[in-house]
Amino acid sequence: MLQMILTGLLCGALLGFVMQRGRFCLTGGFRDMYLAKDNRMFYALLIAIAIQSVGVYTLISLGVFEFNAGSLPIVAVIIGSFIFGIGIIFAGGCATGTWYRAGEGLIGSWIALAGYMLVAAMMKSGVLLPLDTAVKEVQLESNSIAATFGMNNWILIAVLVAIVGFVVYRTLRKPTVKIPGLKPKKSGLAHILFEKRWHPFVTAILIGLIAILAWPLSVATGRISGLGITTPSANILQYLVTGELSFINWGVFLVLGIFLGSLFAAKMSGEFRFRLPDLKTTINSFSGGLMMGFGAGLAGGCSIGNGLVMTAMMTWQGWISLGFMMLGTWTASYFVFVRPRKKTRQTAQAATA
Amino acid sequence: MKKTLEVMGMVCPFPLVEAKEAIKEIQTGDELEVQFDCTQGTESIPRWAAEAGHEVTAYEQLGEAAWTITIKKK
Repeated sequence: MLQMILTGLLCGALLGFVMQRGRFCLTGGFRDMYLAKDNRMFYALLIAIAIQSVGVYTLISLGVFEFNAGSLPIVAVIIGSFIFGIGIIFAGGCATGTWYRAGEGLIGSWIALAGYMLVAAMMKSGVLLPLDTAVKEVQLESNSIAATFGMNNWILIAVLVAIVGFVVYRTLRKPTVKIPGLKPKKSGLAHILFEKRWHPFVTAILIGLIAILAWPLSVATGRISGLGITTPSANILQYLVTGELSFINWGVFLVLGIFLGSLFAAKMSGEFRFRLPDLKTTINSFSGGLMMGFGAGLAGGCSIGNGLVMTAMMTWQGWISLGFMMLGTWTASYFVFVRPRKKTRQTAQAATA
Repeated sequence: MKKTLEVMGMVCPFPLVEAKEAIKEIQTGDELEVQFDCTQGTESIPRWAAEAGHEVTAYEQLGEAAWTITIKKK
């Protein structure tokens, strides 16, 4: 139990710290692919996936643990991921993003988190369980991409690494404009840790390494999985209302660690302050949280569980989920950001005409 | 001429969205000051300004999780 608490909190704190300092936001990343035609954050995610994939499959090859991709609840993954994608635009951050922004003192993220945990728990053991079970009944036999094509996982990993190498090379070769920064007030290590802007690719490498580390730490406590946010977030609520110790696992301490790591990072960099959202943001955060909980519950993972981990494990679930999650964020972005602007412009033109 | 845009309390990406709209309404050479408290904006706002070719004439942290940036329109 003590080991579970310590390694879970440690791994989570590392992740929370790195995400806060690196401004690692997948919601923003997916959104900007559409709004700003900017793929930087998506490439960063691919880097983290590739690193994790190489690391975890090395551990599996060495016999540290076994991994079974299981079957693929295809309909649940597609619908769930799409709804999750819509939800994270409204909530202003994905599940992990919401955990670490809660650590920065954003009350809106606390509210999103409450909605997310509530619906995720309702899907796992509550009133929505029959619906969850019914949709998940539509299953395809093979979830492993390698197994479907009858090839070795390493071939897929090699292809992914080659693609990632290519996009990173191409992105870094592009001439960049100098981005003005704040005047440094700290020096040495304190500057690097608590002030400097981190390149998203550096952040991605660190996240990939933390994602590898999560596997052996979690496996050692009997949880055969890597980073995961949704189930542990639901588990916290399930434990709190039932008192059943069986809901406590390594993942619970992981998500609590994310909160603490981000809180520490934000405090040390002068970026922590309780911030109260306005009414509209509050409603968006809460409804976004509800959709996140429903979507991630149905899809069997969020942007971390499916988007970062199941992708690295070379499963259909991971990559299909990632695709539909992105579609969800683009759909919501159209309604939240693009259409209102168009309307304002039309009204303005009508007024002057 | 300097215009001030106060977007404290707005979460990302709204501070950036508002700044992009506000800069359309000022003349070349005029300045736009954006006051914001969304942490992610410390990255996205100066990046946008630099990439769009505007000049950042001032950029400071005002206090705990509060920043101001002044952008001179191209």
